[in-house]
Amino acid sequence: MAMSHIERAMASITNQPVDRLSVYPIACGVNRKLLSTPTTYSEWCSDPRKFAEAAIAGYKYFDWDWFFGLMDLSVMAADVGSGVRFDEQNTPYVVDPLVKKPEDYEKIQVPDVRKGRCGVIIEGTKLFAERLGKDIITSGFIEGPLLALTQTAGAEKVFMDMYNHRSAVHKALKTFTQFDADFTKAFATTSSPGLCWDYLWGSYSCLGDKEYEEFEAQYARELNKLTSDLGKAFCIHNCADLPHLDTQVKAFKPVIYSMAYYPLIPGSPSPKEAIGKGYADNCLLAGNIDPQAFIRFSTEKIEKVTIDLLQEVKTALCARGLHSRYVVASGCEVPPALATKMENIKMVVDTTKKYGQIECK
Amino acid sequence: MTREQILAGLEKAVVAGNKPEAIKEANAALSAGVKALDAIDHGLIKGMTIVGDKYALHELYLPQVLLAADAMYGALDVLLPHIPKEEAKKRVGVVIGVVEGDVHDIGKNLVKTMMTAGGMSVTDLGRDVPIENFVVNVKEKDAHIVAMSTLMTPTMDGMKRAVDGLIESGLRMKVKIIIGGAPTSQEFAEDIGADMWGMNAQDAMNKLKKVI
Repeated sequence: MAMSHIERAMASITNQPVDRLSVYPIACGVNRKLLSTPTTYSEWCSDPRKFAEAAIAGYKYFDWDWFFGLMDLSVMAADVGSGVRFDEQNTPYVVDPLVKKPEDYEKIQVPDVRKGRCGVIIEGTKLFAERLGKDIITSGFIEGPLLALTQTAGAEKVFMDMYNHRSAVHKALKTFTQFDADFTKAFATTSSPGLCWDYLWGSYSCLGDKEYEEFEAQYARELNKLTSDLGKAFCIHNCADLPHLDTQVKAFKPVIYSMAYYPLIPGSPSPKEAIGKGYADNCLLAGNIDPQAFIRFSTEKIEKVTIDLLQEVKTALCARGLHSRYVVASGCEVPPALATKMENIKMVVDTTKKYGQIECK
Repeated sequence: MTREQILAGLEKAVVAGNKPEAIKEANAALSAGVKALDAIDHGLIKGMTIVGDKYALHELYLPQVLLAADAMYGALDVLLPHIPKEEAKKRVGVVIGVVEGDVHDIGKNLVKTMMTAGGMSVTDLGRDVPIENFVVNVKEKDAHIVAMSTLMTPTMDGMKRAVDGLIESGLRMKVKIIIGGAPTSQEFAEDIGADMWGMNAQDAMNKLKKVI
């Protein structure tokens, strides 16, 4: 018998048998294309009603099992005073970072999270969670402190200042941790059951274990605990190529871990490897369709990619003695570009519905 | 100090990411009569190659690579003006930039560093580079390689426009075009008429070494 979206999602979180694996290509900004009134990206990311209406339209059109309210990665940097460029149909990005000199780290102040684009996300999350809550499990989306700082100062500068101006970087990270704590408390006022943290610098292409512990993990632990203490399911999204899985999955213990796979990069963990190494034993993994496939592939090709992923995942889950701990997702956000093929998103969802049944022998 | 000690000092300063020391050693090299080109090739580049290799093996990470690059550039500022013009002309010329509409340049900077460490003469156009700037600089600098990157999907088309611009200006056949950045791929490189795709800085250098 077919399960409801929420039954399926809850069963996946707790590794119970499911009628099929769950699915959610991380489509957020692209859903604005479904609105009856033409809506630019800049309108969508500045208006909580449009942000929420697009989420609702996305669910109605695609009928997926989850929704995560990701906007873009310039939100917190903008709200502390960095200059952000808003093109009509392009993702906004920081063009004038607040931090230009070492002494500028001190300038960062925690803003009122009810205002600015943080306020748009909170209000928008509240709206879509209320409307979608009876049908699917939703989650808010938030940038981790190191990510927000690199957006505010530039990644290259922050990485060099980790050594050249260590204490200034830590001071700024403490400020962003407080900012994130306020943001988390504001998310807690919404009915969305989850909160997903973007900890994308947890990548061995960027930081080793030592640097990651010092410049993100110690702050992240505090925020992870706060998230759980406030009654939200704590989730992580990390679209880096070589994620710190032992720290972010095994030590942080998120409910859901969304990750990407880069087949050409040696060491990038495939779905089969991630499951085989035990990362799905106590965590619902999500991945791993290449986001570019939603623009570039034909529907036939993306159908085949989805079928292949399902086969790989089902085999790996069964070999590990697991029932349902995988969400068919996109690793990174489905490109919010106008060129993204909505039929490809639908194909991934429909293919999972058709071929996602899992029965281990 | 002997020539060998100075070269070893340059190498060590780069590996340690110590910019003041690298600049000091570069000045010491010139004072001791070491040729600027030797100081670059056998000191700085040797050091940066060690850093690049260790990064590939995950023995060093991005902060250390960036600090090493900063040290190398500090010393290069001292040494480059002392390279005879005829020697400088022998270096493979590269024009590199992040395409228009995108300001994410950390990957581009890594590639630039590896190219510089590989003995190339790199003209860095920076980020958010208008298409015509690639064309104009290829012509002005007599470049042999064009390298473009983007991190964002909506700006990928800018790469094709740059390739088209090089075709229209008659410069396409004299350059090799390499692209990179998270949303790009070998398939995309072929689609837009570029010659190759670099998965990362090391991969880009390995591919370029085969064609130059």
